[in-house]
Amino acid sequence: MSELTRRGLGRAALAGALTTAVAPWAAPWPALAQGVNPIRIGCSMSLSGGLAANGRSAQLAQRIWAEDVNARGGLLGRPVQLVSYDDQSNPANVPALFTKLIDVDKVDLVTSPYATAMIAPSMPVVMQRGMCYVALFGAGVNERLKYDRYFSMNVTGDDIKGHYARGFLECTKMLPNPVRSLSILAVDNDFAQRAAESVRGMAREYGLRIVYDRSYPPSTVDFTPTIRAIQAQRPDVVFFASYPPDSNGILRAVSELKLSAALLGGGMVGPQIAAVQAQLGPILNNLVTWDVYSPEPTMQFPGVVEFQEKYRARAPAEQTDVLGNYLQPYAYAQMQVIAQSLARVGRIDQEALAKDMHANGFETIVGPVRFSALGEWAEPRNLFVQFQNIADGDLEKYKKPGTKVILYPPALKSGTLRSPYGAPA
Amino acid sequence: MSATALPAPAAPPARRHLSYWLGATLLALALLVLLRLIGNEYGWYAGYFVLQYVVLAAAWNILGGYAGYVNFGAAGFMATGTYTAVVLYEALGLGVLPGILGAAVVAGLLGLGTGYLTLRLRGVYFSIATLCLAVVLQTLVVNWDYVGGSRGAYVIRPMTVPGFVSYGEYIFAVMLALAVLATGIGRTVELSRLGRGLQAIRDNERAAEAVGVPTLRLKLIATTLSGALMGVAGAPLPFYAGYVNPDGAFNLAYAVNTIAMPLIGGAGTWLGPVIGAVLLATLQQAATVTISSALNLWITGWMLVLFVALAPRGILGWFRKR
Repeated sequence: MSELTRRGLGRAALAGALTTAVAPWAAPWPALAQGVNPIRIGCSMSLSGGLAANGRSAQLAQRIWAEDVNARGGLLGRPVQLVSYDDQSNPANVPALFTKLIDVDKVDLVTSPYATAMIAPSMPVVMQRGMCYVALFGAGVNERLKYDRYFSMNVTGDDIKGHYARGFLECTKMLPNPVRSLSILAVDNDFAQRAAESVRGMAREYGLRIVYDRSYPPSTVDFTPTIRAIQAQRPDVVFFASYPPDSNGILRAVSELKLSAALLGGGMVGPQIAAVQAQLGPILNNLVTWDVYSPEPTMQFPGVVEFQEKYRARAPAEQTDVLGNYLQPYAYAQMQVIAQSLARVGRIDQEALAKDMHANGFETIVGPVRFSALGEWAEPRNLFVQFQNIADGDLEKYKKPGTKVILYPPALKSGTLRSPYGAPA
Repeated sequence: MSATALPAPAAPPARRHLSYWLGATLLALALLVLLRLIGNEYGWYAGYFVLQYVVLAAAWNILGGYAGYVNFGAAGFMATGTYTAVVLYEALGLGVLPGILGAAVVAGLLGLGTGYLTLRLRGVYFSIATLCLAVVLQTLVVNWDYVGGSRGAYVIRPMTVPGFVSYGEYIFAVMLALAVLATGIGRTVELSRLGRGLQAIRDNERAAEAVGVPTLRLKLIATTLSGALMGVAGAPLPFYAGYVNPDGAFNLAYAVNTIAMPLIGGAGTWLGPVIGAVLLATLQQAATVTISSALNLWITGWMLVLFVALAPRGILGWFRKR
């Protein structure tokens, strides 16, 4: 029997440590553990900085997809491995990370980070390598670039200006009395300005006169003077286009100043997020705002409930949005598009994948999806939902129908409009 | 007659400058060849990230290191260069090289104007004024639709450049040349009457003025030069990323790193900012692709605290003391 030397002990310890470290990663992917060459899918994601809240939850959704796929035997008989880096919500970090993914990590496919500001700087690198690229929640990224291998998982479609606010303005037709005046307040950022442009362009068509139209810088924290100015105009309809921190501030100011309107809401990003819903509670009652998903019976697409169960079980430990009612199903669907296209094409061929994505539709957990020539959704599906029956900040009710009632589009409508905003629920 | 050997005379200034430019050019060429031999596109992009901070740190050092005027508005000057390049691209379709020239002129003039308005302020008041400048410029850009406003601006860069393997290599080579230039300008300032005058201002401005140092003129030259070089560092950004928005161009990381790098490397010396920038930016880039997350600014913060506590004169100062 040989003696265990100090060096031998060291080697044994190292081998033990490596086995312990690798085993938990390899366990969910039996094929990977057996040494099969995985399909590597790379992306950068905002895991810190201003976009981290949505970036982290999108990454969790993608990990759940990878685990589901690997449990079913992988793609093309190979396990799937996700490779991602934190872009720190800084666009300048993105090009280097994508070259690292493609040239050093040798990923087979790339997917995008979350949001326009992060997707756009990845485009030159992706275009240079001719990669097929499915993006998540980008707005108008391909308008100028016209890259024929770009596809966007976002409900807004090709023409944001022409479609975005349509649903909100259609809600004015559901009001008991005709409305005449419109007030617009938008934050100075890409998505909100496009939203404001859309409602501005369509107001006349709905017989609305714009009585207030202002923008504010993203750093604004006190909305009392702005809301007072809107209140002084006594508008029938109020359209806000805002981002999470300011959506919160605006709605608190609206509540404190008791601003009331026949229809109030618009393109607010924030009320879709669980933490904001918990904070605002009944202030959200009767708010009509843009959304992408609601757990109403009309949106129970195959697989979405199962996904949300898995997501909600893990979200608290991952310290991310606990409901998964916003972009999370779309992050999962983004990966489903890749999987279905790969299954049809049968090999990793960027050109063939792009052609397939243009030619065919996809069945996803957010419903059927088909892409336009520009790579956006061929049929826009901007939801306008109304918050109803909210008495407190408890989040359980958001898991069930009846809290975020869909008013538009008609095909998904699940309830009736309550008016005005500001009236007791 | 005694045979005592006299010390060799110091090399004349012209020869000392020539040796720097030759040495730096050879080093830059060697780096370019090495990265081409490695043949990995990531090398160009990661190298660009490090080199932009070499330019920024060298630029900051001219005013902050030699004259002791701490500029918190580096991101503002850099973004001025970035958006000048965007304007030239939008208006005339000009590429990165004319963009850099334009950025040098506009950011230099901004530096001169800022210097003229704020150099009566000293210490923390001057620093706050430069910080305000960055905020004002960001507000201006956010509300200026021609450069994309809050939406950001797209620059469609060419796929290839003659003589270069890829556009990534080209933009790296441009930034490498700028880094050599910025460091050389810093070195020239340090070895010239301008540098000695600025150092006199840093040590005691009133005493310097009393002995005839033209303090206002020297400070204006320093703010102009520093501003122009910071603008130059920002001009290739839209061509590197293909897209730029106000949040990215005025990112806090630029302001923090630009101050931290010279302080860590050794402010007031031409080599210190280079050492600090290479060390810190490489660490940050490595952290991003290994341990990940928001550790970049955390690393910067801790290194700054450690160096201020243990080596207040930076890495170079620490070695010189011994």
